[in-house]
Formats: sequence, C-alpha cells, structure tokens
Amino acid sequence: MKKIISTVLGILFAFTLHASVANAAAKEVRVAYFLEWPSPNLEDMNKKAYAKALGVPVKWTNFTNGVAMTDAMLAGDIDISYSQGLMPYINAVKAKAPISLVDVAMEYGMGGTTCVTSKKSGITKANASELEGKKVAVPLGTMAEYVFTESMKIVGADRKKMEIIAMDPEEGAAALVSGDVVMACLFGGNSIKSATTVGSRLLTVDEARAGGIMGIDIVSVTNKFMKENPGMVKSFVELSHEANERFRNGKSDLKAMSKESEMKVADMNDTLSGFKFLTPKETKKSMKSGNLAKFLKGFDTPRGTVTTKFLP
Amino acid sequence: MITAFLTFLFFFAIIGSILYGRKLIKTEKVDAVFGNPERAKGGIHWVIVGSSFLLLVWLYYSWDIAKSFFPRSANELCQVGKVNESLLSLKYLFPIHERQLKSTSVIETETENLNSIILEIEESSKVNDKNKSILIDFVTKTKSTIPLLTSEKLLNNKTREQIIIITQKIDDLTKNFAKNDYPNESTEDEIKRINASKEEGTWSASSTSIENTVEIPSIPKTKRGLKFQTAAKELTLISDEFFELRNHNEQYSSKLENLKKDIKDFRSGLSSSEEISSSFAKDILKIARRIEYASIFPPSTLIEMQASIENFDEVLKKEQGGLRWIDVFLFPSGTIISSGPSCSEQGSGRWLPKPSDTVNKFALMLNPDIGFKQIPLIWYKMMDVSKIVGFLLPDWIADILPGEYPVHNEKGEIKSNFKSRVLSFVTGEFTLFKIPVPTGHIWDSFLRVFLGLVAGIIVGVPLGLYMGLNRFAKGFFDPLIELYRPVPPLAWAPLVISVLGIDNLGKVFLLFMVSLSIMIISARAGASGTQLSKIHAAHSLGASKWQILRHVIFPNSLPEILTGIRVATGMCWGTLVAAEFLAGTTGVGFVENVAKKYFQYEVIWITIFIMGMLGLVFDITIRKIIDKTIPWRGKG
Repeated sequence: MKKIISTVLGILFAFTLHASVANAAAKEVRVAYFLEWPSPNLEDMNKKAYAKALGVPVKWTNFTNGVAMTDAMLAGDIDISYSQGLMPYINAVKAKAPISLVDVAMEYGMGGTTCVTSKKSGITKANASELEGKKVAVPLGTMAEYVFTESMKIVGADRKKMEIIAMDPEEGAAALVSGDVVMACLFGGNSIKSATTVGSRLLTVDEARAGGIMGIDIVSVTNKFMKENPGMVKSFVELSHEANERFRNGKSDLKAMSKESEMKVADMNDTLSGFKFLTPKETKKSMKSGNLAKFLKGFDTPRGTVTTKFLP
Repeated sequence: MITAFLTFLFFFAIIGSILYGRKLIKTEKVDAVFGNPERAKGGIHWVIVGSSFLLLVWLYYSWDIAKSFFPRSANELCQVGKVNESLLSLKYLFPIHERQLKSTSVIETETENLNSIILEIEESSKVNDKNKSILIDFVTKTKSTIPLLTSEKLLNNKTREQIIIITQKIDDLTKNFAKNDYPNESTEDEIKRINASKEEGTWSASSTSIENTVEIPSIPKTKRGLKFQTAAKELTLISDEFFELRNHNEQYSSKLENLKKDIKDFRSGLSSSEEISSSFAKDILKIARRIEYASIFPPSTLIEMQASIENFDEVLKKEQGGLRWIDVFLFPSGTIISSGPSCSEQGSGRWLPKPSDTVNKFALMLNPDIGFKQIPLIWYKMMDVSKIVGFLLPDWIADILPGEYPVHNEKGEIKSNFKSRVLSFVTGEFTLFKIPVPTGHIWDSFLRVFLGLVAGIIVGVPLGLYMGLNRFAKGFFDPLIELYRPVPPLAWAPLVISVLGIDNLGKVFLLFMVSLSIMIISARAGASGTQLSKIHAAHSLGASKWQILRHVIFPNSLPEILTGIRVATGMCWGTLVAAEFLAGTTGVGFVENVAKKYFQYEVIWITIFIMGMLGLVFDITIRKIIDKTIPWRGKG
C-alpha cells in the first residue's frame, strides 16, 4: 500500500514540473543593457525616468554580451534588451527564440567594435594575409565576429586558415597585451583602449565605413511581454527616442550617462562619436528598407520578427 | 520507430527487473546481517532499473516519446499555438488568466502614480508655490479624465456598436469553429496545402548539419490543424480591430486636448531656472497619455465580450480533443508555442534535446571531416617522427656551433651549410617516417588532464612523503601549501591565463596546481600514518633509510596516494572545462562554450555526455590500478 501511495505521489510531482509561467500583469519591467556602451537613455535610467514613463518600477541588469541577453530572455528573467547586437539577435531568432525587434538603439561605424592587431606582430592592412596560421581572439556569436568576418573580406585574408579563439573582449584585450594572439576583435571602450596601447586598428573607422562595415544595435523584447504590455513597450521606445533627441540637441547630462556606463566622460565621448542615434523616421526607414532590413536579409533571418508599430 | 521500440523496451526492462528483484529477495537465503557489506554485492537488475529509468525520463522530458508516437502532434499544437497567440492580446484585457480587468489594474496603478507625483510636487523645494498649485491642478485634471472613460452614460454609441460587432464576430467564429467541416477547404486548396507541407518536412532536427536546430513545420498537415490555423487568422483580425478601438468620447477628448494644451503652454511659459516644474509637467502629461493609450472601458461594457471569449476558449479546448491529452501528458513542462513566423518548442523540449536527434548529431560530429569548427572530435593524423626529435632537442644547439647561417647570393639562391642543416635537424624540419597520432577535441582535453595529473603526481608524491618525514620540510612548505590549497582552482584561472598564456601551458599548469595540493596532502597523510612497529621492525632487521622508505613507508602510503589520484582526477576534469571556457581553440570545454553561443543544445549535451564518459574511463582505470597494486587494502 505504501508503495502505491509513493508511486502516485511521484507521478503527481512529475506533473507539477509542468511549468506554467504566469506573470502577465507586469509589476516590474526588467531591462538588459551593456556597461561601457553609452547611450543617451542612460541619463533617464539614472534619473529613474523610465519608471515614471512606464508606470511600474524598471530594473536594469548589465550583461557582457548579447548572447547572454537572449538566454536571460528565454529563461524569463529579462523583458527588454536594450542595445543588443544584431548578430546575437539573428542567431536567436534563427534558433526560433520567441523575441521581436521593436527599435534600433544605434548604428555605429567601427568606433565601438573593431579588430586590433598587435604592433609586435607587424601586421597591418597591407600584409593582413600573414594573419593566416596565427591566433586571433574573437568573441564568437557577437557583432565583433561579424566585424571580423567582414574585415577579413576587405583585407583579403582567409579566416578559415586562422586559429580563432573564442574570447570575451576583456580577455581578448588581455591576450593581445600578453602577446598570446596577434589580433583581437573587441567591443567596449575600455577593452579597445587597453588593446590599442600595444596595437593598432586593422581598419580605421573611415576605412571600415568605406568598406560597408557597420554595426547595428537593436532593442528586442520577448513576444509574451510585447503582446501583453504593448503600452509599456511603446512608452519605452518613445522615451529612448526622446533621450536621443535630447542628445542630438546637446542637452544630455553627460555626467549621469558616464556614471551609468562606468566610463570616464572623455572616453565615453570618444565612443559616442562613433555612434549614430537615429530619429524615429530614420529608424522606420532602416527597419523597413534601410540598413537593418538589408542586414537581416543578408543573414537569411526569418521574416516577421521585426515590428515598427511601437515607434513614435 | 526506434524510439518507440526503445520506450517499450525500457518500460518492460524496469517492470521485469523490479519483479525479478522482488522475487530474489523472497527466495534468497539471507544469512548476512544488516551492516554486512555482502548485502550490497551483485544486483545487476537494479542497475538496469536505474539506467532505464534515466533514459525513460530523458525520452519523456525531451518530448521524444511524443515525437515517435504522435509525429504530427507538434504540427497540430503549432496551429493551436497560433490561436493562443492571437488570443493573447485580447485575453489579457480580461480577468481570465489575470486577477483583474486590465482597465481596473491600469486605473489602480495610474491613480497611485498620480498620488505619488502630488507628494513629490508638494515636497519639492525647487518648485515655487504658484507653480505647485498649477501642477497639482494638472494632476487633478488628469485624475478627472478617468471617470469620463469609465462612465457608462458617456460611452459613445459608435464605440458601443463596435464592441457589439466584435463580440458578434467572436460568437460567429465560435459557432463556425465547432462545425466539423470548418473552414470548407476546396479540394484544390487541400492538394496545394498538402504538397506545401510535404515540402516543409517533418518535426525533427537537421541531420545533415550541426548548426540547425529543431524545426517544427508550420503549415497545417491535418484537417484539424487547418481548422485552428484558419481560426487563428480570423482572430488576429478581430483582435487587431479591438486593439484600435479606444473609448475616447467627446467629453474625454476635449478635456484631454485642453489638458495637453495647458501643459504645453505652461511649459513654454517657464524660464530656464524652472526646469524641475517643467519636468513635473512632462511626467503628468506622460501619465495622461498612458491613460489615453490604455483600453479603459466602463465596468460592464465588456462583460458580453468576455463571456464570448471564454466561450471560445471552451470550444477551443473541446475541439482539440485527444490533442489536449497528448499536450498534457506527452509534452511535460512546456509546449509548442507559436511566435511570429514560426513555431518552437518552449520548455524542457527546447533545452533537453531528443535522444534520437542527439545521437544523430553525435554521429555527425564523430565524422572526422565535419567535427566541430573543422576539428574532429577524436581522430588520428599522420605525424613525422622528426617533429618529436625537433621537440626533444633544444634549438640553441645550432646557435652555439661555430660559423654563420647562410646568406642568399646575388642570384637569389640560398645554399645551406652545416650550421643551417643542424638547425633544421634540431627544429625537426626534415622527413623521416610518419606515425599516426591521435588528434581532436577529446584528445586535447584528455592530454591536458593527463599531463597535469602526471606532473602533479611526480612533484607532489615525493614532496608529500618528505613533508611527512622531515620537520624542516613540513615547517617550510606547510604555510605555502595550506594557503593555496583551500582556494578554489578556478579562482586561479584568470591569473594563470594572463601569466602563462592561453596555450596548453597555462591550462596544464592550472591542472597541475589542482592535482599537486591533493597529492601532497595524501602522500603526507600516508607517510605519517605508517605504523611505527613496522618501521621499528625494519630498523632492527638492519634496513637502510632508503630501504625503509622504499619498502615500508611507500607501500604503506600507497592506498592514500591512489585515493588522492582518484580525487585529483575528478577535480582536474572540473577545472579543465572551466579553463577551456575562458579561452581556447580546442577541447571539450571549448566546444560546449561555442555551442552555447549558437543555442546548439544537442552539442551541449553531447559534450556533457563525453565528459561524463571520460571521467568514468579515468576512474575505472584508476580503480583497476588500485586493485592491482594494493590488493591488501581494506583487508589488514
């Protein structure tokens, strides 16, 4: 008899694992963002303007890469990812993750994401084919991998012949300094700064722009959150664009931004100079037929994951 | 097919083994009392139960059982998912899955927000009294817009009609949906749909490439599926229509318009020193606009609509029929969800790949031409023996020879001399004969652990014995070892990688550090635990110091040392994977780290499985060595 009861209890336990996540009426909005990756809306984050605009508390969590953002969104810990890289987003929707693209956070040249070769190796744009057979550090699955692939096309080096080491930017910079790798592809102001003390950019910002390399960071939301709280998504996107507008007019509080991005004001301005924050009109164009649309098409992204209806 | 067979096999294996075990207990003559280790011996049938149960749980929670018995269920559930997706934005307005009506909760939070902004304004020292009263007036006005939205009397006839139309549409859909022949597909369309769905393939992971994840066909394959898909399309239209609908009657609109204008005028009339007042006004405007955007209706207006949605929900459940039971029982902890253009597995089926898919991918990765990132899992390559010579001989032998390295002549030729020939010999740049050597991710990881372990044993055992026998050694090394031993090995990882680099050297050194402390502690414990009487006996028989060490102390500490090796092996595996996570181009940890970035759950599980197996192989080997070298253990 005891055995029968325990068996029944076991089965019941198995069914309670039948997880059901019910948190539709959001009492708190959880947003993912990057440190060392400044944007005008950090000022609003600093001044808690998002909580006011959305009507509920907003919790910001920093991440080190966009892949981790997707992971957290799938696990139900994050509702909105601000300035997620387009590559992690594409990888995620290709893996059928239920997330949608609602806004463009920024477009940027190679200012913020770049490959740096060490001076010791003597490799420059001119003799880049010497990279073949050597070690390079690349944060796989991120925008830096895209920049790496495109840069190699421009300088005419074969990425298949290189020994690619998967490393996050901070570690990649450290490996470049210690001489373990001859080139590191990185993002983030502090990482690039420490890498350029021993090396130089393979392509300058202008060369990269001329070669058509550009990065796009986006705002993604989980489909569940988007369906259930359209008003909040709209307010979020609106406020971000208001911040961008303020930045364009030179009215941003740089100190607040630098505090939240954990950068010095000068370094932050340096990084910001490479960013382009689009107006709502430009964003719509980019999403419908411009850079973003081309980018998504180029990577065979499944269609129907981009929506412009939340733009102001 | 195979999965279905295996499911039955495991099921009957469990039942059979349990019955056999029970029978054995009854028939076996039990002469061993409780506590006698004899009672734990044997019992292969319980191993069968344990492993079959594990595999059955895997099959069940990865939804492989659902896939093999009901291969079309995912496709049908995908259609149901589409309906649920289009219902979602309608449903969340009503207390169906929520506690409150959306209107109620919006009014609740916004009233709270308005009250808190009043407090803030009153407490602010930077806003002058005149502005304060104006701002509070704005708040009161915003508050007074809410009753305009919730008043039944003020509700527009047009809005009322639209709500009735939408409700009617839902009711019609419910009625049609319950019919058997809904949606009246023509034969032509049916052939088209079936062909398209055939082209799309079936529910499975790609078996030709590692990158692709599980595909769930989204074109309905069955009549039942089509029914849901058509309903989903209609519902999307209905829900979009309702989404556009706002209860903005004339009174509300004009009041809000005035408020907006007043706030705008107020803000433009402020001087630059009154920025705080301006931002307060802006915040109030934001709340007013949020109320405008939210779908707030009078309390009883939507009752009928709610009823018809609930009614549809009921019919939806009924129409699923057997599918609902499949969903509940064979898709544990999650289900198929539709989002945007595709359907996907959400829940345990997403992160726990199906055994069948995992085996396919594993076979694919074992193929040396595919491997992972162009490197095979484990394979062999032909290597010239000269490379070993070059590795063993130091390069400076060539440098210290008299003479100079050759310089090219005017014709651009380089003539080699004796010195350059020696250089190519010591660097291994010549051809001898080739031997096969293992290569690949698994081999690299194995080699790292092996080298770290061996280095740890070679240094740790003598040092440990020495520390157990000598006061100076104990005192000198003790602080050092005791300080670094308790530090978790991974804490060293970033440091070791910056100092020794990301190559094998750094990783092997990290593993060496792990095994060293364990080996020292165990050798030392073994040495100091030797029975004094044995040492005395050896002394009186005239043994030298070396003989005592070799024949008394060392054999006595062997059990401790070998146990130490077993512990160190486990620790080394744990550390290695994390070290390969940090940086690397090969190794099992590297494979897992990269697979994680591309959401390749099959590969992740394969690496976990490989590591378990490798750990097991190491452990069994050491257990065999223990049985061979110290057969007296536990018998003294």
